[in-house]
Amino acid sequence: MEFKLPDLGEGITEGEILKWMTKEGDQIEEDQPIVEVMTDKVNVQIPSPRSGKVAKILVKEGDVAKVGQTIIVIDDGTGGVQSPTSAPPASRPIPAAPAVQAPPAGPATAAVLATPATRRLARELGVDIATVRGSGPQGRVTDDDVRRSSQRTDTVTVQAAQESPPRGGSREELVPLRGLRRTISERMAKSLRTTAQVTHVDEADMTDLVLLREAFKGSAEKRGVRLTYLPFIIKAIVPALKEFPYVNSTLDEQAGNVILKKYYNIGIATDTEQGLVVPVVKDVDRKDIFELAGEIEKLSQKARNGQLALDEVHGSTFTITNVGAIGGLFATPIINLPEVAILGLHKIAKRPVVRDGKIEVRDTTYLSLSFDHRVIDGAYAARFTSRVIETIQDTKRLLSEVL
Amino acid sequence: MIEADVAVIGGGPGGYVCGIRAAQLGLKTVVIEADRLGGECVNYGCIPSKSLISVSRLIDKVKDAEKFGFRASGVYVDFVQLQKWKSEVISRLVSGIELLLRGYHATVVTGEAELMAKDRILVTTAQGTVEISCKNVVLATGTRTSSLPGLEFDGNVIISSKEGLDLMGAPKRLLIVGGGAIGLEFASMFQKLGSSITVVEIMDQLLPGTDPEVVRVVHRKLESKGVKVCLKSQVVRVDKGGSEANVEVETPDGKMTLGVDRILVSVGRKPRTEKLNLHKIGVQTDSRGYVITDNRMQTNIPGVYAIGDVRGPPLLAHKASKEGIVAAECIAGMPSAADWKVVPDAVFCDPEVASVGLTEARATEAGYKVKRSRFQFAALGRALTAGEPEGFVKIVSNEEDGLVLGAQIVGPEASDLISEVALAMEMGATVDDIALTIHPHPTLPEAIMEASELAAGRPIHQLKT
Repeated sequence: MEFKLPDLGEGITEGEILKWMTKEGDQIEEDQPIVEVMTDKVNVQIPSPRSGKVAKILVKEGDVAKVGQTIIVIDDGTGGVQSPTSAPPASRPIPAAPAVQAPPAGPATAAVLATPATRRLARELGVDIATVRGSGPQGRVTDDDVRRSSQRTDTVTVQAAQESPPRGGSREELVPLRGLRRTISERMAKSLRTTAQVTHVDEADMTDLVLLREAFKGSAEKRGVRLTYLPFIIKAIVPALKEFPYVNSTLDEQAGNVILKKYYNIGIATDTEQGLVVPVVKDVDRKDIFELAGEIEKLSQKARNGQLALDEVHGSTFTITNVGAIGGLFATPIINLPEVAILGLHKIAKRPVVRDGKIEVRDTTYLSLSFDHRVIDGAYAARFTSRVIETIQDTKRLLSEVL
Repeated sequence: MIEADVAVIGGGPGGYVCGIRAAQLGLKTVVIEADRLGGECVNYGCIPSKSLISVSRLIDKVKDAEKFGFRASGVYVDFVQLQKWKSEVISRLVSGIELLLRGYHATVVTGEAELMAKDRILVTTAQGTVEISCKNVVLATGTRTSSLPGLEFDGNVIISSKEGLDLMGAPKRLLIVGGGAIGLEFASMFQKLGSSITVVEIMDQLLPGTDPEVVRVVHRKLESKGVKVCLKSQVVRVDKGGSEANVEVETPDGKMTLGVDRILVSVGRKPRTEKLNLHKIGVQTDSRGYVITDNRMQTNIPGVYAIGDVRGPPLLAHKASKEGIVAAECIAGMPSAADWKVVPDAVFCDPEVASVGLTEARATEAGYKVKRSRFQFAALGRALTAGEPEGFVKIVSNEEDGLVLGAQIVGPEASDLISEVALAMEMGATVDDIALTIHPHPTLPEAIMEASELAAGRPIHQLKT
């Protein structure tokens, strides 16, 4: 049977084949994970729909497959194995040579002025060197020309990194932009390119919250969860989002509408070995801090292991990025599209604070809110942030929110 | 049964190199060789012929060395010792290949392979039949000598190049049918070893396809050494009698009859595909039977690749090796392709001939504004001190931008010299690039620099033309 790349969820039309977990000739069982696919949101492992023998793998690692495209042929004994003559054009990593051609009298690239190493680089980056405009003498195509061209091409696919020997001499190493890194790169640049981002920074006194967390720690442990500050902050954000609905919205530029969302799904920016992923805690307004703590712990575990399911990274309405554990004062986080704001949480430290005319040592932190000025004005963003801080600092009020 | 990721049929310069690369890339690799690893090149072609040619040149030089003040007497070639030495050279190379394949954990199976399906091979070995099941197969079976009607090989009077290299003495009277690369190498070699030689070529020049200016130097040298060259001629009748034959040759000047002791036929080669069941498996071939592939060496059947001679001319070991690497890398999923600009070639006749890229004629046909620049070895210190002043280096470049389009070299060590121009062309160099590169003095490659200086309009050791 031919197995096609299944529909992976909302709006996803293609995925990059990250890793085949089987090879041609292998015997596979139904539901055994056979391939890891990277979409623009997350990596997913796709299980085999049948038991059988892998007849042919049609899409190579590093190539992009469209939803509905046959990616593997499994001989499941129910009928003849159909083995297409070649992978569909969309998935070819190199300028596709016709399947059959006369022994080349003069190879196609012969007319291009470029060194053999540059020509190989072009193949590795999936660039048709014949289409690259050379910047060197007599139109010579240089390595840089090829790299620039590969960045311009949307359909660029990059070959497996382990097979590219280091280039540029021993003092430089070529690391292909691939997988999650490429996705992050594209999404971050798009966010900055298409929105009007401003960052507002404010200070919060965390002293009471530190005590509050201590008080809840014991009961959290009894429930088997580790209680961090994050669930409290989320709980402090919810009433502010309700009061300032434009912070929890999306701009539909084409239709000319701002979509105000009446549900509160918080994306948690999570640092993993592969790079940044953003699992989503859904309906945070309907969960208590213990549920939130448990869910956050589970999601970040999955994120680190690359096991997040698609619906676990979809549908956030507002994102929090917490770099407090690492350090720093404040930052200018980049908005997670299509949202309009993101809140950066930073290190909680004992700092001198003036209260009632006296200097006191208090636990404080800074909050950085990046927002899209197309939708939200500075005053609105500042008021939103103030409201979050008020809730954090007002233990009684926070207590009524958290449980 | 052996299971493999890649099975390479043929262990010649294409197949064994493919096997090494595939194994290096972690593929489970089997190389099947019917005869001896190294194939035609190592066992019956390049290597044994160069062994004999080296010795023929040495004795020729010694015999002609009085003008250098070098006097020797009683010099002769001991063919028993020569053939023994030649065999040792071959054995050493063959065991080197075996060592490399083993060292990279490729399996070598010795036996005749028959391709039963695109993923199944039956090998008839001395110990019985071995079945190989493979995900990919690389056809590297090469070519075999073709004969002419009326001049069928008999292993005695009418012989091929393979038997010509095993002779235990120089034939007294040798007729060479075919004035291509192999024919001329044998003509130059056996002339030096003492044969009286006639070369019959059907075309209007020796080394058909080579720049006529270059060929003229070789032709003149052969004739000056007493070799009779008949162009636009063919053998029309052979009367064999014992260990000799009477041959009738039709030449533009009429019929000619000559008595010869051996007839060496070198009129081309044909693909060795009988046991590959190409038709049954559906592998496409061209009208001459060569396997058609794309520039990744893939045939029309997925998983079936072909490299080297079996994909057709030019039939060159070094091209086969590079194609073997491309095939192995493509099978391993790398974006490899045969995208070289040039395939240099070399003929070890006297003097040697080597070419790369376009000839003057081809470049003009291709629409370039062609600039030809020659430098004679007679004006080069190293050529004179080596006593080899014949020939020249010719650089063909594009007048507009100075790009090197090709080079033809006829003269001492032409086969070694050509690589510099090949590299220059792959790098997209101009004649200026070569001219501005310091070449050590006194050496033969200076001729390439001098010709490039002329092309760049700044010659030093010759007058501006």
